Amino acid sequence: MGDKKDVWQGTLALMVLKTLEALGPLHGYGIARRIEQTSGDLLSVNYGTLYPALLKLEQEGYIASEWGVSDNNRKAKYYKLTRAGRKQLEREAREWQQTTAILARFLSGKEPAS
Amino acid sequence: MSWLRATFVRFRSLFRKRQLDRELNAELTGHLELHIADNLRAGMTPEAARRDALLKLGGVEQTKESVRDRRGISFLETLLQDFRYALRSLVKNRALSFVAIFALALGIGATTVMFSVVYNVFFDPLPYKNFNRYVVFGIQNLANVGGWKGRGFFSLEEVRAFREQNHVFEETIAHNGYRLLYDNGKYTHHWPRGEEVTTNTFEFLGVPPLLGRTFSEEDSRPAAPPVFIMNYRLWQSEFGGDPKILDTVFILDGKPKTLVGIMPQRFNFFGASFWLPVSDTKASGSVVGRLKPGVRAQTAAADLDAIAHRLQKENPQGIFPDKFSIVPETLLDSFIGGFRKTLYALLAAVLLLLLIACSNVANLLLLRATVREREIVMRATLGASRFRLIRQLLAESFVLAAVASVAGCVLAYFALKVVVALIPAGTLPEEVLIRMNVPILFAALGLTLLTTVLSGLAPVLHIMSGDLQSRLTGSGRNVEGNLRHGKLRSSLVIGEVALSIVLLIGAGLLMRSFFILTKADLGFDPQNVLYFRLALPKAYNTNIDVTREKKNALTRQVLERMQGLPGVTSVSESMLEPPLRYDWSDTIIPGKPHTERWETRFEVCSAGYFQILGLPLLHGRLFSEDDVNANRHVMVVNESFSRQYFPNQDPIGHQVKLEVLDRPFLDAPHDTYFEIIGIVPDYKTLDDDGRSWRAFPQTFIPYSVQGFSHRTYMARTFADPKVLLKNIQQEVRAIDPSVEIETSGTLTASLNEFYRRPQFEVLTLGTFAFIGLVLVVIGIFGVMAHSVSRQTHEIGIRIALGAQRTDILSMVFVKSLRIIAAGVAIGLLASYESSRFLASEVSGVSISDPSTYGVVTFIVVAVGLLACYLPARRATRVDPMIALRYE
Repeated sequence: MGDKKDVWQGTLALMVLKTLEALGPLHGYGIARRIEQTSGDLLSVNYGTLYPALLKLEQEGYIASEWGVSDNNRKAKYYKLTRAGRKQLEREAREWQQTTAILARFLSGKEPAS
Repeated sequence: MSWLRATFVRFRSLFRKRQLDRELNAELTGHLELHIADNLRAGMTPEAARRDALLKLGGVEQTKESVRDRRGISFLETLLQDFRYALRSLVKNRALSFVAIFALALGIGATTVMFSVVYNVFFDPLPYKNFNRYVVFGIQNLANVGGWKGRGFFSLEEVRAFREQNHVFEETIAHNGYRLLYDNGKYTHHWPRGEEVTTNTFEFLGVPPLLGRTFSEEDSRPAAPPVFIMNYRLWQSEFGGDPKILDTVFILDGKPKTLVGIMPQRFNFFGASFWLPVSDTKASGSVVGRLKPGVRAQTAAADLDAIAHRLQKENPQGIFPDKFSIVPETLLDSFIGGFRKTLYALLAAVLLLLLIACSNVANLLLLRATVREREIVMRATLGASRFRLIRQLLAESFVLAAVASVAGCVLAYFALKVVVALIPAGTLPEEVLIRMNVPILFAALGLTLLTTVLSGLAPVLHIMSGDLQSRLTGSGRNVEGNLRHGKLRSSLVIGEVALSIVLLIGAGLLMRSFFILTKADLGFDPQNVLYFRLALPKAYNTNIDVTREKKNALTRQVLERMQGLPGVTSVSESMLEPPLRYDWSDTIIPGKPHTERWETRFEVCSAGYFQILGLPLLHGRLFSEDDVNANRHVMVVNESFSRQYFPNQDPIGHQVKLEVLDRPFLDAPHDTYFEIIGIVPDYKTLDDDGRSWRAFPQTFIPYSVQGFSHRTYMARTFADPKVLLKNIQQEVRAIDPSVEIETSGTLTASLNEFYRRPQFEVLTLGTFAFIGLVLVVIGIFGVMAHSVSRQTHEIGIRIALGAQRTDILSMVFVKSLRIIAAGVAIGLLASYESSRFLASEVSGVSISDPSTYGVVTFIVVAVGLLACYLPARRATRVDPMIALRYE
């Protein structure tokens, strides 16, 4: 377990939004598990830290919550993406790609093609 | 904008905590169940599944806590907690909170009232533009002769010279009193006094009219249609506020004049009820100037002084004394005069009171802090930050101060009404409106804050000082610590006692001087004496030779008819009514040169004057009928006159000249010597300080020798003199229908009016002092009660060892006596220093009057000991068994 990375602050929100976009409405546990699986078990999520992040996204209006029933008939709170959340996801994803692209170019040492 | 939305949601969630907590609980429970189910499916034992789920979550409570942190606004929440906790603990200590709030409310209430008065009187008294720079001035006679001390009334030429030649005023106006008869079509009567003003007056004052217009320069031209402006009060009282009277024609003094404007309610320039325009070339009377910015009143005086001296040189026969100077005064000072000092003294008193209130509250909070010490130390040990603890305690005193300031404002609202009603009429110009306004409210809020910090600081400092550990392990009765806060509390009480002594002595001095003033023997009985003055029509003032005879004839008839009325015992005519009003003159007696001023009060009167005042003849004779009818130059003097100017000599037959009669414009015997024919006993008139009675050298001459004086009539009656007035009015009208009664009243009523000013001071300062004393009682009681309860253990041991009740009593009393004595000593010293500020308010009694100091000391010590009676009695009832087990 020693080589697993903790989730960086800030990226967790993006991951949550992407997860909800990909899978539709999902409960907190589901989101956590999905993030771990997507990372190929390279990331370790302290499930507890997820809930304040969810609350923050909800307060900002990017996701909405609703009580529902899970697959095995348990009551659970389901989160889903709002329209503002979809936009926010696009924006954040774009920024993130830009950042990684810049970093990648920087690290590869190539001159920009002029 | 998402953060804004988030903040809003967070703020809202402060109010739906319970529901959100329930939901969070359900969500986390659901999460765990899902995780456990997954783990079980993966083949874990139930126990391991649960353990892993909990670990992965990082603890249910921790998660909840971090969600809660994110959910609301934690700073606000803990602040709310602080306030809720503060409220709870204040409610729990109901008696203590009540006393503290009571003390603060009294302090804040009294301070708000005084601040309201001072603000409105000094900072916003007049509605006039730049009124701070308005200066009025007069001539002061510096020579010891001439018979007058000063005048603020100037002739036409003088007004012109001052207005045109000065270098210090931006602009000047001149105004002069004016009386006129109004003919309403049925009958004529006098309007209350009005003024003739230069046409720039209204622009100068910068107040727009309520209706119509003010004067323009054209209004004073000779050919201009005659116009006038009315003040609000006259408009209301005579015309019911009817706006249709604007631009209509009034018959005033028999001539038509058009009403062109009505001024607003808060415009009462020099108390006039109407204003007439006068051109700059014809203006005489008094001058008001607006100083150029940066010019001081003293500079202005020097400039005006030069003009006046030039005038004196140009017309030597003008009425300038040999030596004189111009004395300037700001307009506000000329209105308020000595009342400024009174207000400052009261303001100082109220600040002392506020100090007492604050130290009282600090004391009570400190007392409670010691009781709660262990609780607070416990909280600190459990990890409460100092900041949090301080905030908690500040919240408590803030809640206290907030409640108190609301109570104080309510109190102030009603107290202000009382104070305004108590301020004697005429002390303040009518334009001054005393009310609570926004600045005052802010001042009250500022006071709340100040009080919070002051009274909150003591307990905070106390708790934060020293080592928490030792307090926790020590039993809470830590001897060393105790001694220290004991000292702090005692010194607060000592301070309170000292401050209250200062207040009490101030109030005591005022009270004594008030009693001396009101209970003085004037030398005559003012009860049941009616007086009135006549307003004579112009016909009585045309030709000097005729008027004197005409006035004398009128006087003779009025006196005759008054004497004939039922219930009248004696009647008189004089210039003014004693003892508040008087005229005086420098005195010359042949063969008796003197360098100092020989000031004699004099009265021009009928023979009945001595009868009315009950002054028996001591020597010689009084005026005879013949003396009066023949306008003989005879004079009656009083004992003081005889004693002072004719020591060891019989004054009868000597000649005396009253210099004041020499003034050229007076219809009086100039350069005339009067022969002394009789001596009467002294009676007292108002002293020059305006606050005490004194017997002056006094002379009396027959009214018939002159024509200038006011005609004031007095009648002594058996019963209520007021009833007589109607009859007299009829009699006067029967003699001459054009003569009106101008002012009337009784001597007692005018005395009572005069007493209102010192009464106001006594009542206000007395109330402050009383409140201060009550607060001190509370303070002493609090400290002693607490110290007794702290000493229960010790007292128990003493009783067990055989101490008597009296030993215990004296132990408690000696301790409190020590505190009281220290306070009294400091207070007496401070009073000795500070009561000189009251010197201008106190008369007839020294400001270091030993008996006042004695009585106040006695009262404070007695009341103080009374305050510790209850705690002392409780000490004697300590059951040694219980006390020893108390630990």
